[in-house]
Amino acid sequence: MYKDNREYIKALEAAGELVTINQEVDWDMEAGAIVRKVCEEKLQSPLMNKIKEYPGHRYFGAPLSTYRKLAIAMGLDPNSSIPEIANVYLERTTNKAPVKPVLVDKDKAPCKENIFIGDEADILNLLPAPIVHEGDGGRYLCTWHFIVTKDPDNGDVNWGMYRQMVYDGKTMTGPLLPFSDGGKVFHGKYKPAGKPMPFATVIGPDPISAIAASAPSPIPETDFAGMLMGKPIELVKCETVDLEVPANAEIIIEGEILPDVSLEEGPFGEYTGYRTSPRDMRTCYRVKAITFRNDPITTISNMGVPTDEGQLLRSFSLGLEMDKLLRSQGIPITGVFMMPESTHHLVIVGVKPIYTNIAAQIAQTVFGSKLGPWFHMVVVVDDKCDIYNFNEVLHAWTTKCHPGTGIHIWQGVGTPLYPFLSAAERIKSVGPKVLFDCTFPLDWDSFSEVPSLVSFKTVYPQELQDKVLANWEKYGFKS
Amino acid sequence: MFKYDVFINSLADLPEGKEIKLSVRDLSPGLQKYAYKHVMAMVSPDADKYPEKLQVRFGRGQVHNQPYSIQVVKEVSIVPERYL
Ligand SMILES: Cc1cc2nc3c(=O)[nH]c(=O)nc-3n(C[C@H](O)[C@H](O)[C@H](O)COP(=O)(O)O)c2cc1C
Ligand SMILES: [Mn+2]
Repeated sequence: MYKDNREYIKALEAAGELVTINQEVDWDMEAGAIVRKVCEEKLQSPLMNKIKEYPGHRYFGAPLSTYRKLAIAMGLDPNSSIPEIANVYLERTTNKAPVKPVLVDKDKAPCKENIFIGDEADILNLLPAPIVHEGDGGRYLCTWHFIVTKDPDNGDVNWGMYRQMVYDGKTMTGPLLPFSDGGKVFHGKYKPAGKPMPFATVIGPDPISAIAASAPSPIPETDFAGMLMGKPIELVKCETVDLEVPANAEIIIEGEILPDVSLEEGPFGEYTGYRTSPRDMRTCYRVKAITFRNDPITTISNMGVPTDEGQLLRSFSLGLEMDKLLRSQGIPITGVFMMPESTHHLVIVGVKPIYTNIAAQIAQTVFGSKLGPWFHMVVVVDDKCDIYNFNEVLHAWTTKCHPGTGIHIWQGVGTPLYPFLSAAERIKSVGPKVLFDCTFPLDWDSFSEVPSLVSFKTVYPQELQDKVLANWEKYGFKS
Repeated sequence: MFKYDVFINSLADLPEGKEIKLSVRDLSPGLQKYAYKHVMAMVSPDADKYPEKLQVRFGRGQVHNQPYSIQVVKEVSIVPERYL
């Protein structure tokens, strides 16, 4: 696995998953448009070596927007199937000892190759913050990054991928939502105490650390990244705040979140494929220092219609954290698959339906968990249905779910980003949730009441199936 | 060429004939393009009334088809003095 984005970029290139662009690209929408088209067409990641007005800087776009790239990032065969990649994620991060990070000296930390402190640390003079989409409220420097913060009471460190827009050379803004881990500490502790919260934004982390920062795991992200990576993440101390950041990251921005100042943020093209949450007053980040590697590479994720890495990785990790949660409750699931194309709104859960209302128990457990705000549709199918085969899922959904008794709706926690919510619902962060129970009632007699599935494998005698298969090419079909 | 743009919820946020506080984006070309400024300013739906052109956008980025004009009276700090 790769200690930094540069090694990962080489691995993508070796696997035919990189396009190197040497002609000049404009930071004002052109780079964004390239990345958008790459996402929509599931293409290679672009490495842009020449950026208008920012000599020496580079962009790396759509870093993890396909399962092939995800497999490469996890050190697997690029052709691994989705369940194969999922099993490796589960295996590395379930019932294993946390892999704690290690601290390295500043002279071993590439992210310290260039250091700017105080007035010199001006974001717009130093870094090519792109306009990602036309109509965005500003230059989104931080779309594939994470924010490091610390709990003032117990010292717990959090890494969270929370978007940041450049407000001016010394200031950024963004939605540090109150139910995120970083948001809980800021809104629950620093803000009431009237104290600025130190932060460090890490742009261009290694791919595994980025996966950890966007995954809703209860394991601290530093240790979780180490578990996924199979070795400790190397950290280095910041220059101006009491925090540590990955030594091999491309760019670090240090500063403080102001407790009593909010500034306009957004609008922004979002992961739902719309510009939904209108401009609003959001968290204010003030910059104290900027450090970066030589020839720094700014990462760009371009949210919009599927598939971008936010949709792909959040679907992947949300689904698999649900898998762990449901198994921890002893619910006999066969697996969980969240579809990136649904912009992580739809999750399919397979279960052995051994008691009535098991589907409702599943839905209530996942909607009621920390994962709940981010999705709103649960489809429960039985253990005979392949959750990764959408044809089978759709067939079960449209034939086994009773419109009168199989669809259940609850009110839960939502986010301001849901396109279908009213303005009032968005402001209050309420979110309706729906379950589609696609299992037949257990009290139906399996012989006389449950309809028989009509498929090649279920309705013909085994000898006949064998005969047809043996003769398949003789009939004139290709095997 | 617009010198500034501004995001608003409704046109009522841009009353004419009095000094108002606005967050505008400076659209001057260069490294600092799109940096926000907090200003006291006069604005008008008459594109020629004041010296600079102002583009108006709504909360989700939609461009208003009517160009405005603006006169910046003074710039104010975006964060309280104690954080400077
Ligand atoms: C590209 C991207 C942008 C995101 N932006 C935000 C954001 O602005 N605010 C937020 O609260 N969550 C955002 N998220 C979701 C969080 O990263 C996610 O909930 C993560 O698990 C947060 O970590 P936490 O559990 O430590 O809060 C974003 C995710 C991605 C992939
Ligand atoms: Mn966390």
